[in-house]
Amino acid sequence: MKDTPLLAVRDLRASFPGPEGPVEVVHGVDLELARGEKVALVGESGSGKSVTARAVLRLDAEATLTGRIELDGTDLLALPPRRMRQIRGSGVGLVFQDPLASLNPVMTIGWQITQPLVIRGVSKKVARRRGVELLSRLGVRDAEQRFDDYPHQFSGGMRQRVVIAIAIIAEPALLIADEPTTALDVRVQAQVLRLLHELADERDMAVLLITHDLGIVAGFAERVVVMRHGLAVESGPVEEIYAAPRHPYTRALLAAVPRIGGDLSRPLATIGSAVETAEEGTVSPS
Amino acid sequence: MSAATARAGTRRRSLPRVPIVERAAVTVAVVMVVLAVIGPLIAPHDPYAVDLSKALLPPSGDHWFGTDASGRDVLSRVLSGARVTLPATMIVIVAAALIGTVIGTVAALGGKVVDEVLMRITDIGLSLPSIILALGLAAALGSGLQSAVIALSLTWWPGYARLVRTLVRDVKDAEYVDAARMLGVSRTRLVFRHILPNALNTLYVQTTLDVAAVMLVISGLSFVGVGAQVPSAEWGAMIAAAANNLTNGWWAVAFPGLAIMLTAISFNLLGDWLRVRNDPTIREGAGR
Amino acid sequence: MARFLLRRLVTSVVVLAGLAVVTFLMTQVLPGDPARTAAGRNATAEQVARVRIELGLDQPLWHQFTGYLDRLLHGDLGISVFTQRPVLDDISAMLPSSVELVLAAMAINVVVAVPLGVYAAYRRGGSADIAARLIALLGAAVPVFWLGLMLQLVFAAELRLLPLTGQLAFGQDVPRITGMTSLDALLGGNLAAFGDALRHLILPALTLAASFVAVVARTVRSSMITTLDSDYITLARATGASEFRVVVRHGLRNAMVPASTILGMQLGWMLGSTVLVESIFGRTGIGAHAVAAVLQSDLYTVIGTVLVIGVVFVVANIAVDLVQLWLNPRLRRTKRRTGEPAVPALAEVNA
Repeated sequence: MKDTPLLAVRDLRASFPGPEGPVEVVHGVDLELARGEKVALVGESGSGKSVTARAVLRLDAEATLTGRIELDGTDLLALPPRRMRQIRGSGVGLVFQDPLASLNPVMTIGWQITQPLVIRGVSKKVARRRGVELLSRLGVRDAEQRFDDYPHQFSGGMRQRVVIAIAIIAEPALLIADEPTTALDVRVQAQVLRLLHELADERDMAVLLITHDLGIVAGFAERVVVMRHGLAVESGPVEEIYAAPRHPYTRALLAAVPRIGGDLSRPLATIGSAVETAEEGTVSPS
Repeated sequence: MSAATARAGTRRRSLPRVPIVERAAVTVAVVMVVLAVIGPLIAPHDPYAVDLSKALLPPSGDHWFGTDASGRDVLSRVLSGARVTLPATMIVIVAAALIGTVIGTVAALGGKVVDEVLMRITDIGLSLPSIILALGLAAALGSGLQSAVIALSLTWWPGYARLVRTLVRDVKDAEYVDAARMLGVSRTRLVFRHILPNALNTLYVQTTLDVAAVMLVISGLSFVGVGAQVPSAEWGAMIAAAANNLTNGWWAVAFPGLAIMLTAISFNLLGDWLRVRNDPTIREGAGR
Repeated sequence: MARFLLRRLVTSVVVLAGLAVVTFLMTQVLPGDPARTAAGRNATAEQVARVRIELGLDQPLWHQFTGYLDRLLHGDLGISVFTQRPVLDDISAMLPSSVELVLAAMAINVVVAVPLGVYAAYRRGGSADIAARLIALLGAAVPVFWLGLMLQLVFAAELRLLPLTGQLAFGQDVPRITGMTSLDALLGGNLAAFGDALRHLILPALTLAASFVAVVARTVRSSMITTLDSDYITLARATGASEFRVVVRHGLRNAMVPASTILGMQLGWMLGSTVLVESIFGRTGIGAHAVAAVLQSDLYTVIGTVLVIGVVFVVANIAVDLVQLWLNPRLRRTKRRTGEPAVPALAEVNA
């Protein structure tokens, strides 16, 4: 780990306008990522993890953000919109949960993959070559021919590879993956995560994986940050968290994960049975 | 809690509806209907009295809206015009709604073939500009407000037929109708006591929303000379008659048009308000 | 794709057949003797008798209808009692001028409504949104013919900015090539006349467009709101695209899919509304022609106009279907391509 972290979030607070004045949903979160490091941000729906992640890119126009979000020492919250736009895509990339909703149905996937390069002045021809290369690296067969196809012509797993291509083609130093595998079936989930892991190592790209599922974190991240009710309640290396969770909420999350070699006779615990259930009807704002 | 309230916040922002606008709309609509009844009584002058010595007088204290080329008081004519245009509009809407209800109900409850045939006929009606169909029919029936009204009634029903068909089909499958059926309620009774009243609940909102459109077509037909004929104080016919003196008697054109517009706007706002009030799902998603 | 087009084609044929039935019934519900109507008011008894046999009015109804259908398919819409020329000839001579007006109105419609709808969606509750609501309120309530007269009063009679009526200033002359005055002036190389023809188009086109703008703006607004709330728009933002690019390049095409259906139907409705606009502005065209025919009890011309507008409507809708195929790839339903050999040359060209 180097001295200056790639991403340093300090005392981040986020609030949204509500019927009776602003409502704070993130209450002072600290988060740090070194260059090339893979960190998982874990929590239930409504824990504020997505809001935190999106705050890094300042994607919620109506959100009021305070605190500091430093990327390579630059405070993103102080940047004018134009400079912020340059950070998006080339500084920080983003992958969403639902690969179908993340792709524009009326544009070819090639157009969508090359856009981040085209808007940065790369010629269409070069952009296309790099797009095809990246897509085949991501395991899409016949990338060259598939380049002019539309999203509906792809399967779910392939679509998510396309989304990843869009997110990383401009070579961001940090990729934020917001529940990137939740909409995929289990087999494809593993493939996509492995792929993300490999790419991160190849490109020395840091990954902030946002998930509610501690089960997928183990083989992927080096560190875990657990969020609940807008606060980071626990953080540490994966092994430590798994071996000795300190916070009862973390223990509850862990208990909900089926583990190979675990006691199969024990029924799967639900979070609600261990800790009081999060308020009814809470929706992750992602 | 937090995220949910954030959502609610964005929803509230998309509700710019000011109740006062709706209240004003209801007021104007009511005033127009009242005018249609008592208009001639409060008219300051006889709307049909020709006095060529007073031709084309600009608006003044005596003639608020001025006079037309025959020296008739425009205000009085606009007031009594409500009595021509509004009833004609209402007749068209009621007649079209009746035809549409019958055809829509038959299509929804009849067999597949009946439904298919009726809906294709409806498609034809829906796919042509109603002013053109009405113009053709009115021409075939001969000039006059009656033929315009008949022609428009015969071309306006397809929208209602489509709506009623959908509504009746929805209600038909509703649980309480199933329950009634199991209790042995007869088919006719089922249709008239259970299915139709529910469908009509939505239909009346649509008819309110259509008042403006029908009024515009009727006055348009009168304007081109197929509807109400020239001495009549129908608003469209008044505009047609005054159009020749547009530059030296603009008031005789402007005020009947404003009357049409004001009435149309208020009925549209009224219809919108009824629709929102009738359907909580629209209220939730207003502006979306 | 073929199935989609085929289904639309069948619908069109059904609508056209229905139109034939409706217009045939119009000839039947006529009060009085259709033969007398067809022969004209001043026809002699012999003339009426001849017309009766010519039109097959002595035959049973079913025969009459097949005969009517047969004549329609051969482009025979009857003879105008007023001009004594075939109805279709008159209408074809008038149609280009109306099409010119409708296209101009459509251009205004699109240029005003689409940006307005997009901006209203982008800044929900903002001034453009309020303006769009206001235009919707007024557009649905303003009598077209009255608006035309008011525009004439203000912009032609008072401000003298634009010509009051007509299609071309006195003294200007253009060759008749297409029948659309402005296009003919352009083709004839007469730029002064072209400008003049455009100036004559402005007020009638504005009048015609007025009631249609609101509907398009509202459709664009609501589909744009759905589009802007979608993940792919956020993703586009997250890759650093500018707001303009996000809205226009990533969003607009999606938002235009529903709007294009509305625009297509409006082409037909606009052609119908020429009835209310053309005579006010002293323009030739099928609208003015139909109105004149109604006043002269020239029934075959009126019915002919109804038929022609119906046909134009159907054709416009087929055109819209083609536009939608272009806008919306999901309708094209090409099979998934899997293992074909690469064709690098083609791919490079398309880049």
